[in-house]
Amino acid sequence: MMRATSAAILLLALTAQAMAQASPVVPTFIEETQAAGINAVFDGDWEYMVGGGVATFDCNDDGFADMLIAGGSAKATFYRNASERGGSLRFEKQDSGLELDAVAGAYPLDVDGDGVTDLVLLRVGENVVMRGLGSCRFERANEEWSFDGGDAWSTAFSATWERGAQWPTLAVGNYIDRREEGFPWGSCTDNWLHRPEGGDQFAPPLALKPSHCALSILFTDWNRSGTPALRVSNDREYYKGGQEQLWRIELGQVPARYTAEEGWKPLRIWGMGIAGYDLDFDGYPEYFLTSMADNKLQKLSGDASRPDYADVAFAKGVTAHRPYVGDNLRPSTAWHVQFEDVNNDGLADLFVVKGNVAKMPDFAEHDPNNLLLQRPDGTFEEAGDRAGVASTAIGRGGALADFNLDGLLDMVVVNRWESAQLWRNASEDAGRWMQVRLVQDGPNRDAVGAWIEIRCAGEVMRREVTVGGGHASGQSGWHHFGLGEEAEAEIRVIWPDGEEGDWQRFDSDGFYMLERGAALAAWTPG
Amino acid sequence: MIVVACALAWQPARAQTDGDAVEVVQTWYRLTLELVRHTPTYSPPVASRAFAYLGVTAYEAAAGGSDDLVSFAGQLNALSPLPERQEGQDYADAAVVHAAMAKAVRELFGNTGPTGQRAMDAIERRLGERVSEGLDAEVLARSTAHGETIAAHILEWSQSDRGAVVENMGFPHVHELTAGGAHWTPTSLIAQQQKPLLPDWGNNRTFAMPNGASCDLPPPPAYSEEEDSEFYREAREVYDTVKDLTPEQRAIARFWSDDPMLSPTPPGHWISIAMKVLEEEGADLDRSVEALSLLGVTLADSFIGCWEAKYRFDLVRPITYIRRLMDPKWEPPLNTPPFPEYPSGHSTQSGAAAVVLAKLFGETFAFEDDTHVDDGLPARSYASFHAAAEEAAMSRLYGGIHFRAAIERGLEQGHCIGDHANALRTRRQP
Repeated sequence: MMRATSAAILLLALTAQAMAQASPVVPTFIEETQAAGINAVFDGDWEYMVGGGVATFDCNDDGFADMLIAGGSAKATFYRNASERGGSLRFEKQDSGLELDAVAGAYPLDVDGDGVTDLVLLRVGENVVMRGLGSCRFERANEEWSFDGGDAWSTAFSATWERGAQWPTLAVGNYIDRREEGFPWGSCTDNWLHRPEGGDQFAPPLALKPSHCALSILFTDWNRSGTPALRVSNDREYYKGGQEQLWRIELGQVPARYTAEEGWKPLRIWGMGIAGYDLDFDGYPEYFLTSMADNKLQKLSGDASRPDYADVAFAKGVTAHRPYVGDNLRPSTAWHVQFEDVNNDGLADLFVVKGNVAKMPDFAEHDPNNLLLQRPDGTFEEAGDRAGVASTAIGRGGALADFNLDGLLDMVVVNRWESAQLWRNASEDAGRWMQVRLVQDGPNRDAVGAWIEIRCAGEVMRREVTVGGGHASGQSGWHHFGLGEEAEAEIRVIWPDGEEGDWQRFDSDGFYMLERGAALAAWTPG
Repeated sequence: MIVVACALAWQPARAQTDGDAVEVVQTWYRLTLELVRHTPTYSPPVASRAFAYLGVTAYEAAAGGSDDLVSFAGQLNALSPLPERQEGQDYADAAVVHAAMAKAVRELFGNTGPTGQRAMDAIERRLGERVSEGLDAEVLARSTAHGETIAAHILEWSQSDRGAVVENMGFPHVHELTAGGAHWTPTSLIAQQQKPLLPDWGNNRTFAMPNGASCDLPPPPAYSEEEDSEFYREAREVYDTVKDLTPEQRAIARFWSDDPMLSPTPPGHWISIAMKVLEEEGADLDRSVEALSLLGVTLADSFIGCWEAKYRFDLVRPITYIRRLMDPKWEPPLNTPPFPEYPSGHSTQSGAAAVVLAKLFGETFAFEDDTHVDDGLPARSYASFHAAAEEAAMSRLYGGIHFRAAIERGLEQGHCIGDHANALRTRRQP
């Protein structure tokens, strides 16, 4: 693993452009919701106060990210991406088979390893796995895959392939007992672990006890052991005796929580979203946890022998605890979170979706989404207003994805009671970039659990390939890296089984397919 | 009980019982403990205020139909005479109390989240069905209207106490810190808590005592960084105690931690104790509202008195002092609350609560406290209310968040504040 000293060198190397200025380059976003044809509301009353996700995925193999927006009490809406490369964003509403009601969140993954993306729909009621048929058509697969969708208020999702498994392990986070009216507090229902049974079925779900009303979960290899653990962020509003959790999920073993004796410190927040990223280039992910008022940014306190995390949000300037526009100083409410490099300067930035739970007068009513740009020194500065994305709609889920394949990450936000919003990243002074898709033979086609490494100027930046986290919102497809001013760089992949691929050179500003065991291949649309 | 002016004129299909009214009180209080925990503005001082107004509301609603209870009007500061029941008319106490408490809870927790709003709807509906079962419609309407009138009177009174509006969860956007090592400085990395909680709370109108400074206490030991000073010795005691903490001491610290948003807060903890004692005793309506109102009043006065002193002395917390002078990496077992140290709020309010409950139930009343069973903390048993208060106070030293002087003098301050509540007259017959 890299040490802090080399991280500093990398920062210098990658961010010459940014270093030359007092602040990072502020990206320019243009809202194109209406022009792009997006009109999808996350609707519903109390049972839909959480959730409101979006899934982005390519279901017709054209390289452009299509989109499913959760509808809550209304039906989910599927949009096929009809954008042209580098052009304005354009989507076409289309029947896909995904138009179920009661959908709170959606996560894409290739469950059956057939090379076609499937989706898991989190619902208030029965969860449904939807098998991709190609050409953006989907069909219910609960029965065929023995997936017990249960009957709960499902609010969180993550997936992994346990070592050697032919079928994924799905983790579903569940919220309170929605039938409890007078005293719902303390009624958190069990989270579920759907493990494989046989080669192509799911076993009956295993309850992860105790469960504390999860709103985000994420399989992540926090200590680079090669075996991801399950992070669970829980809403303290409803649990009793609960806290944030980290579960050890090992093949053939009963799941076990990391304990205080093992270094896992009690943390009790209104946990709503998780994002992980190796921000400081030390080889280990930091984790951002959204909440109400102050948010958390966790960094390992010592080495990776213990899951002992310190909160560095205050020091890094990412508490994001109240609105930064308008005169409303009441605390914020944060949901979806994602680290991506929106100005391609080689430093991951932070995107947080905000929105009042529902008429809670003690919290900001007009709560702008955050776009926090990372500076070369590792601190962040707010740029949502300058970038044009400071929407004060009641946000929930969201995603950053390059919808028009121009190398710049665009933005979608799902709102409660209002239409989702879409912004095109139209920055003219952003840095260089590359995007890559991973492919491997076997069941885990998209190499979930792999680590992608980019080496330039003799140093390395890394990101983990995960399915899960955020708030009710999942993505598959291109993995994006900003490269600053570097015209070329090298890439390698540490595949999910630990095998290290070869370093391969590439030119900046391009898309690449990286198939395990094969040479990196440039990709162009059409 | 039901006031029946003309018993032969009306026979309810199902007579409301005193037990119905007690259940109404217990249920609304049970919900209130949850709302306190789950409404973000409800820090301990704010919670204590709600318990006081809710208690007085229930008390006055019941007192109007009681042969024994006397009103707090004229006894509590600025409380004017309450609306009276119409002479010669029938009222159902359970319906009166339900209507009063429903209105009070809705008003006091109008800012709670959607789940709390839904819960209030559900409880109001369930209890409403219960108290109206078999009741003559006119009696129900009259009782409901009267209960709401009582609550409206109390709520109007509450608006002038300077504690009605709490913004930014009680943390001011502007507050000038006092320079110097002796004084409070932020102790957490939470941005919102870089200013101290509710610095003006000590100026609020008190309930039973004249004002926030009525139960003054001596200043803390003189601030010093000299190792032979009393101040340093007290800090050393905290440091050494935490270093050698026994499992029992750790359990005590955790049991009385009573963190906002994760528990019913310290005043709610004592309300929980009182509810259990009343329930086990099978207390009737009069005794229930008497105990809960007196306890609520003294808890609220405690936080006003304690806060008045906290911001006058503005003393540094152990974590700041110990990290600066003894051990830069020192971590106390409990999260340090975001406001000045002296005196200890839990000590003051526990001392006051014990004085009030001991007068009601006895100086040597033994009880079991299961407030945190749902959170996985086993019940603890106490030989008396004072024993519980002393343990609650010492828990702050075990938790590394208070020096001994704040604990011992906080308890003494609480005893004084409790005496003011105990001086209130509740019964026609002493």
